[in-house]
Amino acid sequence: MAEMTRYDDSGARFWRVALYTTLIVFAVFYLLPLFVMLVTSFKSLDEIRQGNMLALPVQWTIEPWLKAWGTACVGLTCEGIHGYFWNSIKMVVPAVTISTILGALNGYVLTKWRFRGHKWIFALMLFGCFIPFQIVLIPMSQVLGKLGIAGDTAGLVLVHVTYGIGFSTLFFRNYYEAFPNELVKAAMIDGAGFFRIFWRIMLPSSGPIIVVTVIWQFTNIWNDFLFGASFAAGEGAPMTVALNNLVSSSTGVKEYNVHMAAAVIAAFPTLLVYVVAGRYFVRGLMAGSVKG
Amino acid sequence: MSSLEISGICKSFGTTEVLKNIDISIDSGDFLVLVGPSGCGKSTLLNMIAGLDTITSGDIVIDAEVVNDVRPSQRDIAMVFQSYALYPNMNVAKNISFGLEMRKMPKAEREQRVKKVAKLLQMEPLLNRKPSQLSGGQRQRVAMGRALVREPKIFLFDEPLSNLDAKLRVDMRTEIKKLHQRLCSTIVYVTHDQIEAMTLATKIAVMKDGILQQLGTPNEVYYNPSNLFVASFMGSPSMNLLSAEVGKQEGGLAVRIRQESGNEIMLPLPEVASYRQWVGKTVTLGIRPEAITDPGSAESGSSLLFNADCMIDVTEPTGAELYAIMELNEREVVARMRANCDVQAGQTTNVTFNMQHALLFDPETENRIA
Amino acid sequence: MSEKNSAVADWLRQHLPKLVLSPSFAITIFFVYGFILYTAFISMTKSKMLPNLSKFVGFENYPKLWKTLNWQVALDNMLVFGFLYIVICGVLGLFLAILLDQKIRGEGFLRTTYLYPMALSFIVTGTAWKWFLNPGLGLEKSMHAWGFESFKFDWLINPDMAIYTIVIAGVWQSSGFVMAMFLAGLRGIDGEQLKAAQLDGASTFQTYWRIIIPQLRAVYLSAFVVLAHMAIKSYDLVVALTGGGPGRATEMPATFMYSYTFTRNQMGIGAASAMIMLMTIAAIIVPYLYAETREKQDG
Repeated sequence: MAEMTRYDDSGARFWRVALYTTLIVFAVFYLLPLFVMLVTSFKSLDEIRQGNMLALPVQWTIEPWLKAWGTACVGLTCEGIHGYFWNSIKMVVPAVTISTILGALNGYVLTKWRFRGHKWIFALMLFGCFIPFQIVLIPMSQVLGKLGIAGDTAGLVLVHVTYGIGFSTLFFRNYYEAFPNELVKAAMIDGAGFFRIFWRIMLPSSGPIIVVTVIWQFTNIWNDFLFGASFAAGEGAPMTVALNNLVSSSTGVKEYNVHMAAAVIAAFPTLLVYVVAGRYFVRGLMAGSVKG
Repeated sequence: MSSLEISGICKSFGTTEVLKNIDISIDSGDFLVLVGPSGCGKSTLLNMIAGLDTITSGDIVIDAEVVNDVRPSQRDIAMVFQSYALYPNMNVAKNISFGLEMRKMPKAEREQRVKKVAKLLQMEPLLNRKPSQLSGGQRQRVAMGRALVREPKIFLFDEPLSNLDAKLRVDMRTEIKKLHQRLCSTIVYVTHDQIEAMTLATKIAVMKDGILQQLGTPNEVYYNPSNLFVASFMGSPSMNLLSAEVGKQEGGLAVRIRQESGNEIMLPLPEVASYRQWVGKTVTLGIRPEAITDPGSAESGSSLLFNADCMIDVTEPTGAELYAIMELNEREVVARMRANCDVQAGQTTNVTFNMQHALLFDPETENRIA
Repeated sequence: MSEKNSAVADWLRQHLPKLVLSPSFAITIFFVYGFILYTAFISMTKSKMLPNLSKFVGFENYPKLWKTLNWQVALDNMLVFGFLYIVICGVLGLFLAILLDQKIRGEGFLRTTYLYPMALSFIVTGTAWKWFLNPGLGLEKSMHAWGFESFKFDWLINPDMAIYTIVIAGVWQSSGFVMAMFLAGLRGIDGEQLKAAQLDGASTFQTYWRIIIPQLRAVYLSAFVVLAHMAIKSYDLVVALTGGGPGRATEMPATFMYSYTFTRNQMGIGAASAMIMLMTIAAIIVPYLYAETREKQDG
């Protein structure tokens, strides 16, 4: 509490120590699984079976990583997860780009070019963010099949754009809502049209919200499993599906170290984004949840 | 009620010095107003008296007891905050009695005190409402009630009226003054509004940039400001200040004033010994707008009246009076005239200068030449 | 000709905003609401492996669904998991937020640490915790190595306890987010109230308990809505951590829907279960959104 001054006495010091201890204990709680994942991924299977999962590797080895990337068996093929990693990238980049652009335009229209019923339209689009995706699985698989892109990365791009528009529109709409209308009106008086205003006035000031939207979309789409498993289970599967296949395979010896290496690889992009731009990530969390 | 002594108080935030050696002493029943522009340190000083901010060096003494290391809740002071700081989840009665509850006062006694305060502030019908259901003025009264119910040694007010609209502000100002007269409480009041300071205070402390500029009664601060800052800060419209040369004339000293037309007049100065050293030198002359009037409004008892014809550049009628702006020594000077004066912009009219309360300031040190 | 062109151009210019919005809106209408209707319709047919729109049976599937043992297990698990997940995340999130609000050195680092699991896929979370709680090689073994010979942790393979492993992993993933929400709420409280409380003589505990926490009502509501929403949808975590097992002990509505639709060839039933999920979420979200937008109009 920023405003309270401290009057130091031994009682207060005790609580201070207890406070920091508690915080550190929880930090350990949150870090432990990650630590275990990393540590396990550098051990040999023998060491895993004999030793303590929390112990550092006695003999560090990068074998599991090489295997996870290049030779582990996922489903029917044994080429590691690298192909699926690229699938994820091929899916995420277009999906994030398209949904962000659409979201920006939508937010712009809904706030600066209001028309009758705009609240309803926004509400309808907003509700789409919250539906359980199980409700669209059946029809979507039909549609993708008919379009010939079932099982393909392109199909996933369509799916993620479709269900990502709601959030990106929400973010931009809330952001542009607070953007002063006077600037737009002044530009209109100066003779600028719809697109020019967007291009020259709205977009240049949209830096923060673009970052938030991109990070949010990237994280959600990269981490998605349901759509990937439903619509691209084979060769075109994204990283998450491949990871699950790898880890859940019931045949043969469970190579825990390889599983852990694969999991870290899968987690790496979103973790990196979080570490680098965590502030924007949190903003996205807040924007998407507290405001309606 | 209690005395308060602020002794050699200094406050720094890191390397920034915010308060420099403040010495203020007030007696029981005094109404001390800390006044000054934003950033002068008055709120910081108030927080230190309350114990909400740490002291870098110096002492706060309440009733001859040094309270530097005493917790805020144990200093027996109560505070009214600028934003009222009411607890939104409690109703008015609970808000007021919360402090008593924390001090483990029995329920019956608490209720009695709340009733007393509610009656005093005419808040009885509001007791069950929540802060969100109150108007600004009502919230302010609840905040005051919360302070009053504690019956503390000293009351602290932190710009309590600045969030109210102008009319309400004037009404509440009078209420506060009446309360002070009735309860004879010791009060320390922070504001940036010098009118509040003048009307409420028994002692005014004018502050700027963390330095105490002057400590005195309202009269002292108004008529005998210790420096240019105090002179121009107190009073609205502010004191006219212009550079002028001191000269000798028959009967005493005077200042040379050149009018817009080029004509020179000599305004007589009051008899002050130290003025003599300034003959031939340039000083800053301070003369308040109410000292420059139409001849009919001039203070009849004054011994130093001087009439001159002046060219009026702009007139600003306020309804209650008329401000006439003229140019003297290449500076804009404001004169206060009767509302129904027949004065037009661009015209010349006869103006009376009452020099009895005129002041001279050293242009370099900015101190008043006493 | 030019007159006609300029009339068209004018019409375009006037309607351009709506035209720009319309693809997204059309997509939403078709892919969200159209699909919902489609699934609703399927839920009223006797579809098995493929949608069979001819075998219309009205609402017959719904009582059938409710009689299915697996669905009852799924609902039970949903309630147990949902309740524990929401309550523990809420309490833990608030607790951590309050701790972090005490002018801590290294607050930024701690916040990052508590929140990073949100950046992970539920599949990664499930995989990590599956290993961590591995009976025989995971936590149990480590405790043995440290001398707690009798420590047993076989929850993952214990049909009665498996659901609680999902709770643990879920809390680990989401509590940081709740903490971030509460922290923002705490920081939004007027600092002068805290000063007033200090002068009133309230201890730190009393200040939190009597003044600060009651004011965070808006945050509780938001946190509840978000967590409930995530709980109802939870699929990835269950798949990765327990696969729905052991057996079907950790079946949830989402896993039920998936298996009945795609592997058990009971599409009609599966569609019905999806409809139930939708209606449950709608029952929470719609009033919340309505209340939120209403408030903004008044405020």
